[in-house]
Amino acid sequence: MEQVIANGLYLGAQYALIALGLTLIFGLMNVLNFAHGQMYVLGGFITYAIYGQLGLPFPVAVVASGISLAVIGGLMERYLFRTVIRRSHREESTMLLAAATAFFFDAVILLIFGEKQRGVPKIVKGVFNDFGVIMPYDRIVVAVLAALMILGFILFMKYSRTGRAMRALAQDRVAAQLMGIKVDRYTMIGFALGAMLAGVVGGLLVSITGVNSGIGGPISVKAFLMIMIGGAGVVGGAIAGGFILGMMESVGLTVLREYGDVTYLVIFAALMIFLAIRPNGLMGKPWG
Amino acid sequence: MDTILQVRELTRRFGGLTAVNNVSFDVREREILSVIGPNGAGKSTLFKLIASFLKPTSGEVLYRGERISGLAPHIAARKGVVRTFQETTIFRNMTVRENVIVAHHLRSRASLLGFFVGTGTAREDERAFGASADEILDFLNLTELANEKARNLPHGHLRALGIAIGLATDPAVLLLDEPFAGMNHDETHKAVAMVRRLRERGLTVLLVEHDMPAVMKISDRIVVINFGQKIAEGTPVDIQNNDRVIEAYLGAEDEAIGL
Amino acid sequence: MNRTLRLLGVAAFLVAVFVVVPLLISVTGRKDVYYTLTSVALLSIASAGVWLTFYIGRINMGQGAFALMGAYVTAVLVNHYGVAFWWTLPAAGLFCAVASLLIGLPILRLRGVYFAMVSLVLTEVTRLLALALPVTEGAKGITNIPLPGAISLFGLTIVPDFATLENPRIAFYYLAATLMVLCFAGMYRLVHSRIGHICMSLQQNEELASSIGVNIVHLRLIAFAISSFLGGISGATFAAVTQSVYPSSFTVTDSVNFMLNCFLGGLGYVFGPMLGTLTLYFGWNLLFQTGEFQLLIYSSLMIILMLVLPNGLLSLGEGRRKG
Repeated sequence: MEQVIANGLYLGAQYALIALGLTLIFGLMNVLNFAHGQMYVLGGFITYAIYGQLGLPFPVAVVASGISLAVIGGLMERYLFRTVIRRSHREESTMLLAAATAFFFDAVILLIFGEKQRGVPKIVKGVFNDFGVIMPYDRIVVAVLAALMILGFILFMKYSRTGRAMRALAQDRVAAQLMGIKVDRYTMIGFALGAMLAGVVGGLLVSITGVNSGIGGPISVKAFLMIMIGGAGVVGGAIAGGFILGMMESVGLTVLREYGDVTYLVIFAALMIFLAIRPNGLMGKPWG
Repeated sequence: MDTILQVRELTRRFGGLTAVNNVSFDVREREILSVIGPNGAGKSTLFKLIASFLKPTSGEVLYRGERISGLAPHIAARKGVVRTFQETTIFRNMTVRENVIVAHHLRSRASLLGFFVGTGTAREDERAFGASADEILDFLNLTELANEKARNLPHGHLRALGIAIGLATDPAVLLLDEPFAGMNHDETHKAVAMVRRLRERGLTVLLVEHDMPAVMKISDRIVVINFGQKIAEGTPVDIQNNDRVIEAYLGAEDEAIGL
Repeated sequence: MNRTLRLLGVAAFLVAVFVVVPLLISVTGRKDVYYTLTSVALLSIASAGVWLTFYIGRINMGQGAFALMGAYVTAVLVNHYGVAFWWTLPAAGLFCAVASLLIGLPILRLRGVYFAMVSLVLTEVTRLLALALPVTEGAKGITNIPLPGAISLFGLTIVPDFATLENPRIAFYYLAATLMVLCFAGMYRLVHSRIGHICMSLQQNEELASSIGVNIVHLRLIAFAISSFLGGISGATFAAVTQSVYPSSFTVTDSVNFMLNCFLGGLGYVFGPMLGTLTLYFGWNLLFQTGEFQLLIYSSLMIILMLVLPNGLLSLGEGRRKG
């Protein structure tokens, strides 16, 4: 029991952080970023290259992952999404663009890093074993770091000037513009920040689960699930969705262990029923 | 005159807030009745309740003795009670004429399948809708803009298009949502004349409005609500001299300027 | 004038599909192209369904689910119950239409990304179900589906038994092309009749549509059912062509591709999904020669297309007309 909860919290913390980046981009521009999982993978490979290959310290590698992805995200918004949003008749066109960029990242990752599963040396050795919970220390470190970053993100969105501007933007674009907020600039910052979060989580987790070029798509789908559970575009919703999915997986994998894929069948079916009853998730606002 | 619409003890709560509280009044055939009240008095909730866009917590709305509240909007429309929207609610990517033609939906005698196959009835329908749409556009002085994309229309015409869409459904009661909002003196003048002509077409008009002078000019009767409750009902002259109404409006103004 | 032009266009298209293409193939001897074109035709039918849901304002990423269902209906009926393929084809379509009504009733209330995501999840649920249910025979799938038999009417053989043909692929090509032509003719009629306008009203503003008396719940269900019917037909024919079906025959990737076909061709044009499917499928196959760079070039081209023509390939014609 304790073990299930501990696993759920560990999964939940990392999931929530992934979902935060996705929901931020969605909230600001109504873009569902299909490439989110690929950004995560890219972050993982950058940390793998810097920490695993070059032997530089782990924190340096994770920071490098974050910065690289922030730059990539910013450029994507500026030169791809902004153009398409301005020129297309239909908002949904951004989905094609997002899907195309996802393919593009997949291709780039495959060309540069190959299709092998890559791992790096453990950052902390040893296993925590007490209170009926067995958990390697590195997982605890990662979970705590993720939790701290979630906290930092919330504080940033609440109190910093940039954060407040972005929240205003997410709430009402036109009103924000009238209030003199530089919409283009903050949209770009928001996209960069969302991409950065994906990169950082990828970097952190490469130390535990490793990384391979094929997991981008599944990660994106999981991230979509989380923001739908919580309600798309809402920070609290992303966090709640992340922890709920983490718990569900942890419980499901324990209870339904023998049945393999049935865990996900149950989770998905439950989600469909849940959304049929609560169309906007736990805290979401209507869209469209 | 016969009563066409009865609002009976209508109440709507949102969580702890009672937006509309036990409101009753009658609307008579071919009259222009306005619902007014200070900001936040519950006007727009009342409007949505009557148009069946919201379900009441309790109470009901009767159209010719038949309950229409709590049903889907398209059913109320089918019976003859149709609402218009404020400004931007139009079919943006269709032309003005297409907007009005598509809104003839309720007049179709052919089934969807009939339209697909192109039966005689369907073709007759299409011809009739075209002719009727042209008449409505002419009635609202939109003929020149008929082939313009709706999204390119200037503001004043958008509202006329909204009313044209409403007329296309051939309603008995047309509900107008703040038809004079944001208009200058001249525009209001024209709009008032237009609403009068709606009545001449045989329609009953119920409007929710802010603009007091316009309402006084146009209405046969006025219902005043404040804090979700009806505080007065009567002719414009009655309302102008009603102490509770004056108090409500002054009070609201005090609040608005921060007293 | 306009009408004659249109009729000529249709005639030219029919001649191209049913005469010119087979001729070209027999001249060049590239018999493998039949399979490619059959796939394009079938995929474009499924994409047409997705396009119709776009037309009422829903982003549908569940078509993979219905294609898979359709494929399994045919496979199970033919292999387990010995039903003739020709009966299973409409049965598959109807099965999917009914299933989509049951599923659509709750989920069509969702809009935007919510509907998109739930329909995507539906694809995954269907795959997992196919793995788990006994009747679908798990991961090994259903194989060795016999080829379609003959159709005779009053003793006259209209369609020969596919198994007796020298090259059944040609027969499948004609079958798929016929289905495609029927499907798009129907779609064209639908969109250009009053129903199309009503669907469009739904896409643009559901509240206003219901205020003019449109039963939006009803109409959404009809559109979704038609869409799923097409998905089922497409999947069922695919099962007959490949003579097999696996849980992985149609996956999330296929659902996304159907959607991309629609985007690429243009959401505002009935023939968008056909052109989009042709372009994407052929583009992908042509790029096969670039080896490891296939995906990179493919995705780069897609991004560039999106930047240059964000409203689809067919918007090219429109731009010229206006300019």
